[in-house]
Amino acid sequence: MKKIVACYKWVADEADIRIDEKSRALNFDRVKYKISEYDRNAIEVGNSLKDKYSCEFVAVTCGAQVESSLKDVLSRGPTNVYYINDEILADADGGVTAKVLAGIIKKIGAVDLVICGEGSGDEYGQQVGPRLAALLGYASCTFVTKLDLTDEGLMAERKLEDGIEVVQVQGPAVVTVLPDINTPPIPTLKQILGAKKKPTTKLSLKDIGLSRDACAPKLKNIGVLGTVMERKGICMNIDGLSIQEAAEKLAKRLSADGILG
Amino acid sequence: MSGIWVISETPKIAWEMLAKARELAGNEVVTAFVVGDYETGMDAISFGADQVLLLEMPANIPWEECRDVILKAGETNKPSLIMVAATRRGKDLAAQLAALLDAPCVSECKSIIKDGENFLTERIVYGGLAVKKMVSNGCLVATIPPGTYHPEKIEGRSGDVKQLKPQGFKMVVRERRPKPATSVNISDANIVVGVGRGFGSKEEIQMAERLADILDGAIGCTRPVAEDLRWLPEECYIGLSGQVVRPALYLCAGVSGQVQHVYGIRDAKTIVAVEKNENAPIIRIADYYILGDLKEVLPALIGAFAKAK
Repeated sequence: MKKIVACYKWVADEADIRIDEKSRALNFDRVKYKISEYDRNAIEVGNSLKDKYSCEFVAVTCGAQVESSLKDVLSRGPTNVYYINDEILADADGGVTAKVLAGIIKKIGAVDLVICGEGSGDEYGQQVGPRLAALLGYASCTFVTKLDLTDEGLMAERKLEDGIEVVQVQGPAVVTVLPDINTPPIPTLKQILGAKKKPTTKLSLKDIGLSRDACAPKLKNIGVLGTVMERKGICMNIDGLSIQEAAEKLAKRLSADGILG
Repeated sequence: MSGIWVISETPKIAWEMLAKARELAGNEVVTAFVVGDYETGMDAISFGADQVLLLEMPANIPWEECRDVILKAGETNKPSLIMVAATRRGKDLAAQLAALLDAPCVSECKSIIKDGENFLTERIVYGGLAVKKMVSNGCLVATIPPGTYHPEKIEGRSGDVKQLKPQGFKMVVRERRPKPATSVNISDANIVVGVGRGFGSKEEIQMAERLADILDGAIGCTRPVAEDLRWLPEECYIGLSGQVVRPALYLCAGVSGQVQHVYGIRDAKTIVAVEKNENAPIIRIADYYILGDLKEVLPALIGAFAKAK
């Protein structure tokens, strides 16, 4: 039976982040966390391969506050989730994240296929997947839109700038998938309730033999500034103006601004 | 640790990065890894490289499988900076090199400044919502989006060109299907009409097309309209991982204004939104907006613009 792992990141929902217009600082006060959208595609790929080939399928994550994600991920198909929750990972960059995930995957052992999203919803560095492949000594098969298992490995369609490339891999691989590979379903009530009965496996950095020094990011963050746009924000159909009138008012406005004709 | 490496699957992006590498390198050696013949190697030298290592890839092997032979070249001298073209293949290769060198990797790096022994870099985060500044010490890997720097040919340069033979591959290409050529080019359009998920069906997009015709503009859309619903070609999709447009007017309907899409329209001179939900994020970044059902508003706009012209 093949063993499949899907990795995911628990990220701040970028739609909830507010930017202070004056200081351009980011405000996270009202932010909710979610499983990164791209990783939901990865989880669904693992889930459908599990159903198709009766594979063993588990999820893996790491971070500073990932415990609130466990029920959510288990409602999406995996039979277990292996995770490391450690405050030191709050500042983790792609390099640190890949080291921790690789450690967990080695601990699980004999994993045939690792699936990741093409990038994360917050940083979108698009590097954890290929980094994992390099650290595990697996093939790196990125930007995949179609994936199927073979006896020896896998066949995949990769979408690149200049077209589609169909590749064959013999042996274990890390695959990163594009959002077009599937549409992850919203978990049903039954799946959500079922998730509560599934096991979770908590590991520590010590368990995977990673020192705290190795978890120091090599990129030091020296500031994040929100991008702001100066816009007019004028509503065309206020004061009971009909849509027809608003449309004409807009056309005049755009002509006056020198944009039309 | 010294010198700068420039790695690209296509010569053109290598030339662009060589211009920056030359500026950052001072007297240090700039090495270019490119695919091609001796002529290609000499070109790279005239654009700023001191030495060129030509990668001879078998036809059925993906280019990024050159990883190990590139690492081998760094065994005796690790470079201080590795610049890789931020194509999909390049990003894959860069991340693998970074992992094996235990180095940081700045993806889609927007700027690099040398500050003594350190590099200061910038990139976009949170789907286009913010710019992050970072500092790194030691070997740095950065992927550079095509078009970031201007290539500069310098007359009279000389240097070594050597051949590398990559081997030990994990992937084999079974088939390649080139992307069909399309005539869609929205990045140069002066007026872009944006289509979002607020459109109820593919047929309703005809209204946006009529509007674009009257305005002499092009049609653009959000990611789901192209990639999930497939109502419009992928070349029309505007956003962080799609097209970035800079029109005089971006007029959109049924677009909620998710940060990833907004990234692609940020530099539009004027933004007009047609939207029924006054709490949608697009309203906060519009110059002008009409609140209402696009099925009513678009025909009204078609009429009004026809009259105004």
